[in-house]
Amino acid sequence: MSDESILEQLYNAIINGDKGGLERAVGSALKEGITPSEIIEKGMSPAMKEVGDRFARYEIYLPEMMLAAEAWEGAMQILEPKLLESGGERKKLGRVVIGTVKGDIHSIGKNIVGAMLKMNGFEVFDLGVDVAASAFVSKAEEVSADIIAASALMSTTIPQQKSIIEHLEARGARGKYCVLIGGGSTTQEWADNIGADGYGRTAGDAAILALKAVSQK
Amino acid sequence: MLSFDTVVERALTGPICTERDFDLGIFVPNLRKIIEKYGIKYDPGNPVPADDDLADRVWEAGLEFLVETGVYCLDTERRILFTRQEIEGALGSAPCNVVYGEGKDARLMPRRFPEDETPPWCSGCGAGPVLTEWNLINVVKTYAEDPLSDGITAPCLTKLDGRDLVAGSPRGVEGAIRTVLLVREALRRAGRPGMPVVNEVASAVRATEHIAGHAFGNPKTDALEIGTVHELKVDFDALNKVAYCQAVGNLTFAENGVILGGYAGGPAGVAVVCAAYHPVDLLVIRGVVQHPLAVPIEGGTTSMREIIWARSMAIQAATRNSSLPIVAPGYTSAGPMTEMCYYEFAAWVMATVVSGGSVEVGPPSRGVMEDYSDPMENIFSNAVAHASAGMSRKEANKIVSRLLENYENKLKDPPPGKKLPEYFDIASGTPNKECIEFYRKMRQEFAEQFGLKLPLTSPYL
Repeated sequence: MSDESILEQLYNAIINGDKGGLERAVGSALKEGITPSEIIEKGMSPAMKEVGDRFARYEIYLPEMMLAAEAWEGAMQILEPKLLESGGERKKLGRVVIGTVKGDIHSIGKNIVGAMLKMNGFEVFDLGVDVAASAFVSKAEEVSADIIAASALMSTTIPQQKSIIEHLEARGARGKYCVLIGGGSTTQEWADNIGADGYGRTAGDAAILALKAVSQK
Repeated sequence: MLSFDTVVERALTGPICTERDFDLGIFVPNLRKIIEKYGIKYDPGNPVPADDDLADRVWEAGLEFLVETGVYCLDTERRILFTRQEIEGALGSAPCNVVYGEGKDARLMPRRFPEDETPPWCSGCGAGPVLTEWNLINVVKTYAEDPLSDGITAPCLTKLDGRDLVAGSPRGVEGAIRTVLLVREALRRAGRPGMPVVNEVASAVRATEHIAGHAFGNPKTDALEIGTVHELKVDFDALNKVAYCQAVGNLTFAENGVILGGYAGGPAGVAVVCAAYHPVDLLVIRGVVQHPLAVPIEGGTTSMREIIWARSMAIQAATRNSSLPIVAPGYTSAGPMTEMCYYEFAAWVMATVVSGGSVEVGPPSRGVMEDYSDPMENIFSNAVAHASAGMSRKEANKIVSRLLENYENKLKDPPPGKKLPEYFDIASGTPNKECIEFYRKMRQEFAEQFGLKLPLTSPYL
């Protein structure tokens, strides 16, 4: 099988969110002597970019994004040890701790931002929903995160975003992390009021803010 | 209909499943299969569809999808499954023509059909955040003074005595209680003390807050709004609210927000999931009304073309096949005192009413901007709702299509409009001259452009 054909298989498996198919295609690629870096850069990354673009155009939706991100992560579990063996290392843009704040159980916005960040090359640690402010901070410390991303849907749960910043300040760690906020009831005005580093109305906004944050580090 | 305790038992003992597997392994593939099987296709050229056969297919698709998928309980990580027979049993005993409120302010919420001449139920004024107690009283009072207003949806108080109102804290409980008392005071000032409050309190998130606020309202003739979680999920907190309502004999607005671009996918998926929620609202939430809030993933506007189509489709599907009334809530993207805000409200309200639904008119500015809760656009929406009763779906489709042309390219970057104190005299609790003139200008435009004769019922007009 030609390299081109294998790269096409890799691309299509991500576009289709086919985790098993992607793992098989990665196996074939390695067998054919394609390096892990080439597999990522020439086969998988262009597909992830295409998935993000299609989502932005409303051509695909959250499930396709999440399945593509899951397929990517499955493939990376195979590829990362190979990269290390060959003396290389996957270039990660940064680490993001993400979750929905305490008292709020809405997950969709958070999930879509998480998927979008993964597609843009971030390592994402998803704490789920109803997450205590201290848990965001502890996880960020544990994994040496670059960014804390906090989602809140309700007008009366957004004060918990402020609480995260206060917990960071209490630990003397505010300057270590870029704090991004989003969710249905949040606004730029609110972000400014609580001293957040950025507000994203859409998942695309969040990715742009995150990229900007790590580029300025 | 199955007892509520049977539903709880299924939540406790149903098939175990992770949330990820429910979302991506069951919900998504089942929905895709059903959409394909029933040939449900979005038609952007007709935002207000008039295809009865398609409406009935959406209904059938929704029921089949629910049987195959069930409802996910987040606390037990189990699926609550229903048979077709159980669903039909619930639909067969669905309530209709329920009375809300007390005394001379009591109002009937009717069952309606597509193109029905029966006047729709109109409640409103709500869910948007307000900064001060005076503002809350004033916007509620002004809305309640319009005779076309049937019920109140309490705005969301975000501060208590100048401090953040935090859900889940004692301030959440106090905020809920105070909101109900303030709304009651506003209704007294409006001369409509028996008017029903139908969401109880927008600021309340937890069951404790809902129950506390509710205890200070009129427990049997107000309604408590209980929401599911996107998509087809519930948690114990929601079920605890239901248990309370069952015990006190309370009326329940069963709210479900289907996300366009989320697990439901595109407009066809949103329509089918909305239809699937209809029996869920009876069986799980024990609602006496379905309250379908479909919004795009980017936030709370209900005036987008895809949302108008999907919700019209789902409302037609349900109202043709079930007696459970539908009250559709909605927000706009543009802010108060803008032409776009009036166009947006008119579009989704008209589409809802001709599809067989009633309306709950929410705030402008996606419901997230503090003190952008404008009673005048809500009063305008009441008028549009009444003027749309009996209109054909084809006629509404023409008007809504023209309205969409006026605003849909600005939905992502809408005009912010004005803040309450800029168009409202807070001291006297009345809209100012500029606000009233703007209303009259828009009313005139709707008469000339669309031939709509909007009733002038508010004392300020």
